[in-house]
Amino acid sequence: MRVALEFLRFAQRALVAQLTHFPPMDALVRQTYQAGVGSIALLTMLTVFAGLNLSVQSYATFERFGGQDFLGMFAGIGGVRELYPVMAAVVCGARIGASLAASLSNMKISEQVEALEVMSIDPMRHLVAPRLWAVTIALPLLCGYADVIGIGASYAGAVWQLGLDGGTFMSQIRQFVRLQDLLVGVMKGLVFGWIVALIACFHGYRAAKRDGAEGVGVATNRAIVHGAVVCIVLNLVMSWALYG
Amino acid sequence: MTWLLQPFATIGAIAAFFGDVVRTAATSPRYFAETIRIMWILVGRCIIPVGLAVAPVGAVISLQGLELFRMFGLERMLSSLLGTAIFREYSPALASVMVAAQAGSSIAARIGTMRVRGQIDALAVMSVDPMRYVVVPGVIACAIVTPLLNVITNILGVASGWVFAVPLGGVDHGAFMEHLTAQITPADLWIGMGKCVLFGTSVGLLAGYLGMKVKGGAEAVGQAANDTVTQTIVLILFVDYIVSMVLLGAGL
Repeated sequence: MRVALEFLRFAQRALVAQLTHFPPMDALVRQTYQAGVGSIALLTMLTVFAGLNLSVQSYATFERFGGQDFLGMFAGIGGVRELYPVMAAVVCGARIGASLAASLSNMKISEQVEALEVMSIDPMRHLVAPRLWAVTIALPLLCGYADVIGIGASYAGAVWQLGLDGGTFMSQIRQFVRLQDLLVGVMKGLVFGWIVALIACFHGYRAAKRDGAEGVGVATNRAIVHGAVVCIVLNLVMSWALYG
Repeated sequence: MTWLLQPFATIGAIAAFFGDVVRTAATSPRYFAETIRIMWILVGRCIIPVGLAVAPVGAVISLQGLELFRMFGLERMLSSLLGTAIFREYSPALASVMVAAQAGSSIAARIGTMRVRGQIDALAVMSVDPMRYVVVPGVIACAIVTPLLNVITNILGVASGWVFAVPLGGVDHGAFMEHLTAQITPADLWIGMGKCVLFGTSVGLLAGYLGMKVKGGAEAVGQAANDTVTQTIVLILFVDYIVSMVLLGAGL
């Protein structure tokens, strides 16, 4: 309970710092590059398997009531609305959040944050705000990228492996996946990016000098797990609000 | 050229490590007390995150599936989609991903810390095989705990799907239950459990491998813990795909 209150207070301070203080361009570009481009290889591998899997698994499910022809619709809608944004958030969030939490808790444990405060530099503005901006920019882009790769992989799975008709698959995607769905997926990425970064910064920031090196491990672990759980729950809330 | 060969070297090293683990696990002495101690810790640490992660997925499947099925007037069939998706795919995969995030990283961090502090070497000096005492119990604990957690998440996933289908989505309760029990065979449940054993083994294996490989200080430990999470998730999805292909080929 106390942690939740602490988190809300941290979120409020971070949001104020983020909105009032747009970070310097070079820091922002560096952070965004690290978060975004650094995750591309991982995300590509994941989405290829997830997309192939989505095709193969839904084929197995739909075969039971003879609905194989609607595979494109299912793979398209399920992937773009739900699977790819959540997967990008959970996995890239794990990678990015862990590194954010590790770097911040390292600074906290070696008292670099206190040193900044002594120099009257607000660590919220200087350390937290650029990281929040960077991930909030990077994750929606990663989500969009995952959509493209994922649909490509689903197509490959459906057509080359399962021998379905490629034209039917694509026309289903064109017919049922609307622009709103893509935008909703990307917008989900925006929210996930912000919340993952915020949780990671919070856990990194909570580490204290007395925790020692183990504090870094605890902070990164909590950043990964809490980030993933919060993203999945938020995904339900957003889907419910938008499609329910 | 080394960067081209590097992945193959890693895969080979992991395969050799796996062989080592199997050989060690198959021969006595075995440390049952240590295994059970780790299992308790894993269950305690994982049960809440795993439950919280899988329950919303059932709800989302109901939510989206209902919209799609309504186009064809097939709302009654929703529960068979929900059941197959949860039992066969999402509950095992997500439960294992969360076990990797929560337990895998902590196992890797623990082994890595022991390595950095020289405790692994100390064990070897005392003629306690570190593979036997530290790595194998972790792998076995993961392989047993993941299916156990999967039982709980199966129930949670279908229950949350029911909430979004019946009271909120307006599907008839009788039809929901009927299609759930008619379309879902015990084979679906066992396939999910089997996947969990495979995924759990992958989690424990990669955690042990990356933990034992740690060289240097606290930073390397943190790196190993993070790598365990991301690499295990990739491995889980890869294994999942292979399993799906095999099952499809076998007509299950």
